[in-house]
Amino acid sequence: MTNETARVEQAIRNAVETALPQIREIDFDAALTSDVGLDSVQVMDLVMEIEDELDISVPVEVLAEVQTLNQLATRLQPILERTAR
Amino acid sequence: MSLFDKFAPLAAARADLGAHGTPPVATPIEDIISAAEGVIGGRRVILAGTNNYLGLTLEPEVIASARESLEHFGTGTTGSRMANGSYHAHASLERELAAAYGWPSAMVFSTGYQANLGSIATLAGKDDFLLLDSDSHASIYDGARLGAAQTIVFRHNDPANLDRRLTRLGSDASRALIVVEGLYSMLGDQPPLADFVEVKRRHGAWLLLDEAHSFGVFGATGLGLAEAHGLLDDVDFVVGTFSKSLGGIGGFCASPHAELELMRLASRPYIFTASPSPAVIAATRTALARVVAGSGLRQRLWNNIDKLYDALDSFGYRLGSDKPGPVAAIILPDRESALAHWRGLLENGVYANLMVPPATPKGLNLLRISLSAAHTPEHMDRIIQAFGQLQKAA
Repeated sequence: MTNETARVEQAIRNAVETALPQIREIDFDAALTSDVGLDSVQVMDLVMEIEDELDISVPVEVLAEVQTLNQLATRLQPILERTAR
Repeated sequence: MSLFDKFAPLAAARADLGAHGTPPVATPIEDIISAAEGVIGGRRVILAGTNNYLGLTLEPEVIASARESLEHFGTGTTGSRMANGSYHAHASLERELAAAYGWPSAMVFSTGYQANLGSIATLAGKDDFLLLDSDSHASIYDGARLGAAQTIVFRHNDPANLDRRLTRLGSDASRALIVVEGLYSMLGDQPPLADFVEVKRRHGAWLLLDEAHSFGVFGATGLGLAEAHGLLDDVDFVVGTFSKSLGGIGGFCASPHAELELMRLASRPYIFTASPSPAVIAATRTALARVVAGSGLRQRLWNNIDKLYDALDSFGYRLGSDKPGPVAAIILPDRESALAHWRGLLENGVYANLMVPPATPKGLNLLRISLSAAHTPEHMDRIIQAFGQLQKAA
């Protein structure tokens, strides 16, 4: 695991803890809406937490393309790299 | 497999709200008695769940304008202003809206939804950025989806959060359109507009203010929250609707930038739809004149607002906004208590709105009251008494 991958994963864990305290165990492969049961507003709240954790802006368009936290993490990597440049 | 399978969760959510009695979603209104009263479930009720803030829907002068126009110009325009002819009255309404703001340009759309859709999707193009408040109305999010700009959401009513996002954009912030609302209809709360304006100015960004629920209600001439705060010079675009304080249907975008006129050439929700019916335009023109001159109407509305907010506070309800406004959103602990409140009010002769997730922010269960200048002191007493009955029952 690279430093950046670990950083993204930790940011997601922190964000879930803050935005979705009802979730005890985080499954990175679960579909956020159909498996975890989140609605679109909850997903948006989660992403805003992640944005603050990583100091990046995630375009809304990305959310339409991801279903799981792992997919989201993959999409966050290039954004993080671009922001760091 | 059926194309309709995907609607099953929505059907289940609707069923959860109760299969018997008057439905809280798409509640049938069997008759209208006045701007403030109607018939629901065979009973006369006070309408406290419409957006008829100034009560102009049955104003004789407004109806007379519509009737005259209907008889002269007919039922519809049958086409787009760009393709099938642009009526004089539509352009007159645009001039009157622009004049009310003291600005060079205004465009009329066929609905308020289309006004946001057509303005947001067109103003922010492929290489531009949209910065949306997270509690934005669906028409704002849909405008973002229809357009090609990169969309970034900031925390509701949080200028510092917006500031961080604009800072990350750097010099690209000059191509960013910020969208906020003058009054958020779910919680009835208002934005810290002066702080948003300061952030916008500092980054050289653009600001679109959706005054759908604040037009007619705030400001000396009813132009909305920007007028009330003396910030009209700092807003780049105001979007509004004809279907709330103006009592009709349609919407507009007005701007201090004369180049807004160019948007007519590119805005798909403006071009590829029929223009509003002449009767609606005539009614809206008369209603607009009443709104601009309507300080008496606003005073009546604000008397009602103060009375209800005071009463709900004394009952110990938690409200969505600490600043009084035409929408009072009562936050209830769960769906069942919100539904029980909605049914209890209806049984006591008051029609309000039930709002539950995912339509609401933060998963809140809400009972929403919309006030009107048409609510008489007796109506207000009955609304407050109805809440008193619910308190006793609890």
